[in-house]
Amino acid sequence: MNEILAEFLRGYTATNQWLAILPEILLALLALSLLAVEMASPKAARAQVGRVAFYGQLFILAVCLIGCFTGPATTGAEPLFSGMIEQSGTTQFMRVFFLLCSLFVSYLGGIYLERQPLARTEFHHLVLLVAAGMMLLVQSAHFVMLFVALETVTVAFYVLVAYGRNSVGSLEAGLKYLIMGALSSAILLFGIVLLYGVAGNPALAASSSDSLQYSALAEFISLHDGNLLVRLGALLVVAGICFKIGAVPFQIWVPDVYQGAPTPVTSFLAVASKAAGFVVLLQLVQGPFAGLGALLVPVLSIVAAVTILFGNCAAVVQGNLKRLMGLSGIAHAGYLLLGVIAVASGVAWAEGAVLFYLFTYLLGSFAVFAVMTFAAGTDDTDQQISHYQDFAKEQPFLGGVLAIGLGSLAGIPPLGGFIGKLFLFIAAFQAGLYGLLGVAILGVVISIYYYFGWIREAFFSHYNETVPTKTAILPSMRDRLLLGFLAAASLLLGLYPAALSLLP
Amino acid sequence: MDTHFLHSTLLLGSIIAPLLAGVALLFGASFGASLRRSITLAGFGIALLAAVILAANFDAALAGGYNFETKIDTGLSAVGIFLHLGLNGISLPLFLLAGVVGLAAGLYALHSKAERPHLYLGLLLIMQAGLMGTFASIDIFFFYFFHEFALIPTFIMIGIWGGAGRRAAAMEMAVYLTLGALLSLIGLIALYANSGAESFSLAALREHLAGQPLGEVVQSNIFALLFFGFGILVAIFPLHSWAPKAYAMAPTGAVMLHAGVLKKFGLYGLLQIAAPLLPDGAANWFPWIAWMALGNLLLIGLVTLAQRDLKMMLGYSSVMHMGYAFLGIATFSAIGAGGAVLMMVAHGLSVALLFMLSTCIHHRCNTFNMDEMGGLASKAPLLSALFVAATMASIGLPGFGNFVGEFVIFVSLGADTATRWLLAPAALGIVLSAIYGLRAVASIFFGPPSEAFRERWTGDAVTDLQNHEKLPAVLLLASLLFVGLLPGVLSGPASAELTHLYPEAVEVSVFDQTVRGETNAGQMEDVHE
Amino acid sequence: MTVGINAFLLVAGWLFAIGLLGVLLRKNTLVIYMSLELMLNAVNLALVAFSRYNNTMDGNLFVFFIITVAAAEVAVGLAIIVALYRRRQTVLVNELNSLSR
Repeated sequence: MNEILAEFLRGYTATNQWLAILPEILLALLALSLLAVEMASPKAARAQVGRVAFYGQLFILAVCLIGCFTGPATTGAEPLFSGMIEQSGTTQFMRVFFLLCSLFVSYLGGIYLERQPLARTEFHHLVLLVAAGMMLLVQSAHFVMLFVALETVTVAFYVLVAYGRNSVGSLEAGLKYLIMGALSSAILLFGIVLLYGVAGNPALAASSSDSLQYSALAEFISLHDGNLLVRLGALLVVAGICFKIGAVPFQIWVPDVYQGAPTPVTSFLAVASKAAGFVVLLQLVQGPFAGLGALLVPVLSIVAAVTILFGNCAAVVQGNLKRLMGLSGIAHAGYLLLGVIAVASGVAWAEGAVLFYLFTYLLGSFAVFAVMTFAAGTDDTDQQISHYQDFAKEQPFLGGVLAIGLGSLAGIPPLGGFIGKLFLFIAAFQAGLYGLLGVAILGVVISIYYYFGWIREAFFSHYNETVPTKTAILPSMRDRLLLGFLAAASLLLGLYPAALSLLP
Repeated sequence: MDTHFLHSTLLLGSIIAPLLAGVALLFGASFGASLRRSITLAGFGIALLAAVILAANFDAALAGGYNFETKIDTGLSAVGIFLHLGLNGISLPLFLLAGVVGLAAGLYALHSKAERPHLYLGLLLIMQAGLMGTFASIDIFFFYFFHEFALIPTFIMIGIWGGAGRRAAAMEMAVYLTLGALLSLIGLIALYANSGAESFSLAALREHLAGQPLGEVVQSNIFALLFFGFGILVAIFPLHSWAPKAYAMAPTGAVMLHAGVLKKFGLYGLLQIAAPLLPDGAANWFPWIAWMALGNLLLIGLVTLAQRDLKMMLGYSSVMHMGYAFLGIATFSAIGAGGAVLMMVAHGLSVALLFMLSTCIHHRCNTFNMDEMGGLASKAPLLSALFVAATMASIGLPGFGNFVGEFVIFVSLGADTATRWLLAPAALGIVLSAIYGLRAVASIFFGPPSEAFRERWTGDAVTDLQNHEKLPAVLLLASLLFVGLLPGVLSGPASAELTHLYPEAVEVSVFDQTVRGETNAGQMEDVHE
Repeated sequence: MTVGINAFLLVAGWLFAIGLLGVLLRKNTLVIYMSLELMLNAVNLALVAFSRYNNTMDGNLFVFFIITVAAAEVAVGLAIIVALYRRRQTVLVNELNSLSR
């Protein structure tokens, strides 16, 4: 009996290569151990949970980076777990990306929680789970895997968005996110089912018994790109993902949820959740939906154009900064769609452009959200542009970081965001998307109004009246280090973009 | 080889030195005044010194190629972008211009009473680094990059140290310039993507397109992008409304560098990139350029005439004079383009001088309203002499660089029957600028002092120019005279390069006459004196 | 007589559409919840039908995942609704408008 078990286990480990998902396992273990620490330690020591989470993630980040540099050179996608998971350079990069996000969110969450009478441990626990889920999400090569990873992320996000239990805004945001999230999951699922059913139909050519797997599906779809069920299924799947990235017409949840959620969670949603959606979309248009370019390119082009215009126009008139960041995030999703469309129309290197843009978006957004966390005061949902009057004079350091973050988001040289836009524009040009480029330019020009409007509020003093402002927390040395890192990285990527290619 | 290394390092140094000095000052809140002074002088001084040394060693025989080339990989080589620096006959005069105006602005800014002087000087130095880089770049991506690099400090300086309407002016400028910059960026990307040269290097693009020029429609489209993009940056009519407001609000140092040098970016781009690489596109757009340039000359000239605020008037007049440079480019001949180069340099010097002197006048009269001024000549003779000289220069009096530039442009317009009709309106522009220039001189310096300022007049509050004001003013005026009397120093290398770039131009022989014409003009001036 | 796959798909499609309209049109959060469940169950029905007609087991397995996830979603959702009801005394979406100011 023991021999059979040993044999089974040996075979199990041999085919499944658990080490390949070591970072995810470590993250889950860390998340669980946080709960254990909370239970075991005396009440006074519970403040240390945040520190444990932070350094634990630093350690996992190190493991991840070491794995990237020493691991076998991953050329192309490598199927693991009988085709459930595929790893590639992109997924390795995204692992680091999500870990960086969760690191910042944990850190900012610590600052947020100091001002709120809320439980701490669960926050860090959920952030870690979300990070692990996203890492699996971008590696999945099978729709069941995709769905399970996606739901892990989404359900954890429901709780995180509603985390401010003492604030009606946070609970409302949680409810709205839950309804919209569940709706998008259902739409995504229905699309998956249609694809599964039609691709598994034995009566059709190239049908597969494993029709939820990306590569099997790709083979089928390339032969049946005119099939109505295939087209409908693909459109529904793309629509489900458009919910996650906040593209028009699936953007309605964005402003409310961004405003209501605790600021660190907002930043997590804005950066990591959107990035995960885009990477999944990229994998789909390169993998299973590669044969559907003729359908997806025009659809996505319209979506991208409307998204850019809507996001920017709505942000111009917005006074609440969290909503403004949400709406400008919609606009960024539009620019990123440009890259996705370029990939779908055959410019393969545009994937790199999208990843680069996402990374600069990470740096810029977290710089801004970090400053917002420091400046938020006790009422987290009420952050107006007018609160930033004379901000730079009182907080020169935070003001500088804010300016660099906003500048990078606006795409001003010599900051990283500019290079990101440059790559996207070149890719879009090579794909022949001239009309979309025109829309994108218009969008960037409009975005100058609100990004510079914010900078103007913070830097250029008024001559006349004074408006009530909030007092920001003075950042400690450690905070300065983190914020300085974000600003310096934005600047470095603008001046020497090759720095990012040091990552795999 | 060794001298080449030395020179190319010097070229790089002319960008790095002000950049480092600027960054040091940004973080140097605790620096003492003397340390601040030495860092500023070092930054601007090294830039000018490098420019002069490089100009002295410039080899015009390399026309078609570049002097002092260096190429550095900054991690964008995958899309064909390198930090590729070098100078040719067109960029050299503007590179020198940036050095001279930069030092003058720096010298003047050292004594400005701005709050947080370390920030003020630091931003000015960063702007200078961007300017030097713009004109030293062969790579069209970095050409654009450095321009933006110089633009950001301008925006910040207007926002922090500008006059009463600065918030709105800074915003309008930011939006206009972003639009212009993005249009030209897309144009440059289009050039890169359509040429198939796989490189952003101007030299490579030129070589590639000489072999296989683009189709006419493509050329026309790309030229439109570049023309309107660059046009907004140069404030061509009717896309000019940001410029006078921004100039009226901007602190002196920023406006000297922006109006004097940075705004030449667009013209330089048209001259160096758009027109030579896209000759068919340029030809298609000729009527647009001509009419819009006339809009600059005549309509904005009339608007200038109506201004009673000194700085607004200077802002409008600087926009107006850009029209001549546009006309020069519109001829698409080596001779017209050569005139445009001279015009740009001379205009940059005279505008910087005028804006600086206007601040000097403000210090003495406490107003920019010309109706409230008067009689300043009796109190400040040197100031009035310099202002009169600068005004004469910008009107185009022989002896100053502006005259040479305008004259050559007129010759180029007259050389072709298709452009000859433009001569009359262009000449009318000179009359307009003479009217408002002389009227300004009269109301500021002559006549009785106005009632409101009679009190100030009696005390010692109003003095003539101080040493720190004299130094930059004399530097600018001397350069202006140098360009006017010895235009060959700049036009020699420029014409060598331009005859290369505009090979079909038939007027090459005429150009020789023009150079002679210039010298004649110089001699005429001698006779006058 | 055997019922064809199309009949199953038709029913699933109807259920999905009813659910979708319910989510979009109803005001009561709990009813919206039920509509969401309806959509998920439409998916389940289609999955099982496809699984049967295609002779693959993946669909049946997928159903279990969906049921589990739906249970988790409802658990979280009801918790939020209860917390919100305590503060606002309402579960109607048109009255939940403290944001967007």
